[in-house]
Amino acid sequence: MIRGPLKTALTVAVLLFGTAAANAHPHVWVTVKSELVFAADGTVEAVRHAWTFDEMFSAFATQGLDTDKDGKLTREELAELAQTNVDSLKEFGYFSFGKSGGKDVTFGEPKDYWLEADKDNVLTLHFTLPVVAKPAKGEMTVDVYDPTWFVDFSFAEKDPVALANAPAGCTVDVKGPDEASTAPTNLSESFFNNLTASSQFGSQFASRVSLRCK
Amino acid sequence: MRVFRRPGAIVLALVLIAVAGAVFAADAFAQGAPFGAKPAAPPPSGFAGWVLAEQAKFFRALSAAIREAKADGSAAYGLFWLSFLYGAFHAAGPGHGKAVISAYLVADGATIPRGIALSAAAAFVQALSAIALVGIAALLLGATARAMGETVRWLEIGAYTLIIVFGLLLAWRKGRAFLRSFVAWRTGKPAPERADHDHDHHAHDHSHGHGHGHDHDHDHCGHAHGPELEDLKGRGWLKRGLAAVFAVGIRPCSGAILVLAFALSQGIFLVGVASTFAMAVGTAITVAVIAILAVVAKDVATRLAAGSNGAGMVAIRGLEFAGALVVILLGVLLITGLIASERMFPV
Repeated sequence: MIRGPLKTALTVAVLLFGTAAANAHPHVWVTVKSELVFAADGTVEAVRHAWTFDEMFSAFATQGLDTDKDGKLTREELAELAQTNVDSLKEFGYFSFGKSGGKDVTFGEPKDYWLEADKDNVLTLHFTLPVVAKPAKGEMTVDVYDPTWFVDFSFAEKDPVALANAPAGCTVDVKGPDEASTAPTNLSESFFNNLTASSQFGSQFASRVSLRCK
Repeated sequence: MRVFRRPGAIVLALVLIAVAGAVFAADAFAQGAPFGAKPAAPPPSGFAGWVLAEQAKFFRALSAAIREAKADGSAAYGLFWLSFLYGAFHAAGPGHGKAVISAYLVADGATIPRGIALSAAAAFVQALSAIALVGIAALLLGATARAMGETVRWLEIGAYTLIIVFGLLLAWRKGRAFLRSFVAWRTGKPAPERADHDHDHHAHDHSHGHGHGHDHDHDHCGHAHGPELEDLKGRGWLKRGLAAVFAVGIRPCSGAILVLAFALSQGIFLVGVASTFAMAVGTAITVAVIAILAVVAKDVATRLAAGSNGAGMVAIRGLEFAGALVVILLGVLLITGLIASERMFPV
């Protein structure tokens, strides 16, 4: 007696669940280039980001900012927006999640930040995130992603990451989010496992910068 | 207890309530933990991941299509098609009033035509809202993204407040109906006729042509089968439906704002407007599909409950009351930011 309606109800539940799980979705795409800046003692002292926004968001964000109406956006015209960007990024942990020696790396207030627009008025936000406590020497990862998936971060294909003042023997690479994981699959057991995924799952989703020094 | 003679109805009602809970729990999950705590990520694989990937594709294709439409007017048709598809996919995401409309339909005499009409109207209002925002703020006033963002925030607060108020009125109405049916069931007397008690006591039999030839008497409990005269004549339904449409529609969708802002920057604002309407058509279809699911679920519950006179009636009234409570809860979670609506990059 219960079987019939229960089955119907569960089917409905699965369908609704599916759409609910797809809820967070990006409106903004950011192409990331990052640089790890080393201190004299060979530890990383800052992460220098250059984030290029997609053209739609750039058009939205620069609305009304071309104060001299010359069709070009100068650094000065964009200064206030850059200020707002870095101020409000704090709430989101700058979308940058560092780890070193098994511990979280915390970042301080951004320095040297500005926005620049290219000829199509596509925006790039430059900012430097200082590392608060010295990370372990020679080993560090930085994930750049929005855990709430409203902003889609991916590293640039060309020169995604660089090292500044690095000691000899240090290499860095970038691994993007697991592309294969976005292929369509059935609503299988793994679908429900995903719904209860812990933070480890997030790193699979992230773009990760990995530093190794010999 | 007589009510347990129809465990199916009870189970279904409970599952529906649980699902409604899960919908916003998943929303809250998508919002993620506060920073500083371990961040959670939404599931990238399976159905959800596929929807995400498709949306991203459409969105990128959209911006390319707007560029093309600028260079060549006839490319605009491709843009409208893309906008339609994007709207359909995009509406599987947050906002767009799916949850509120579905909960409302469960609460208030749901029919499929109503579900479709409400979904379409909500999508249309959302399109108008985005066009008005970008048209007035950006085009006429030269406002900044920040000013537009603040405007959206105010619209959100207004919309969510309306959802709460609307839910409270609905809950008051449905709560009383629930109590009446409960009393009627316990005392074995039919519930007293009430002027504000829509279409429940007309004892219409359901032999009208829907093809499901069940011949049992629906007693006081049949109303979820289609556009019946009593339903469509109004009795407050239209008023409440429009209130629901307005409450969910006045918050413009971020995708439409971005398309409009980009079209404006390319000097083809009107193409952006047309594209926004195409998007609304796609959104309406997706929201309608989900609304229809809610209607069908309620219909199944109603049919199951129909056989068991009073107890089934109590279950259905309880379900409707729960639907109204879900509307309130959704409003509260939205206004407190506990469930994610939409966010762009912070500006």
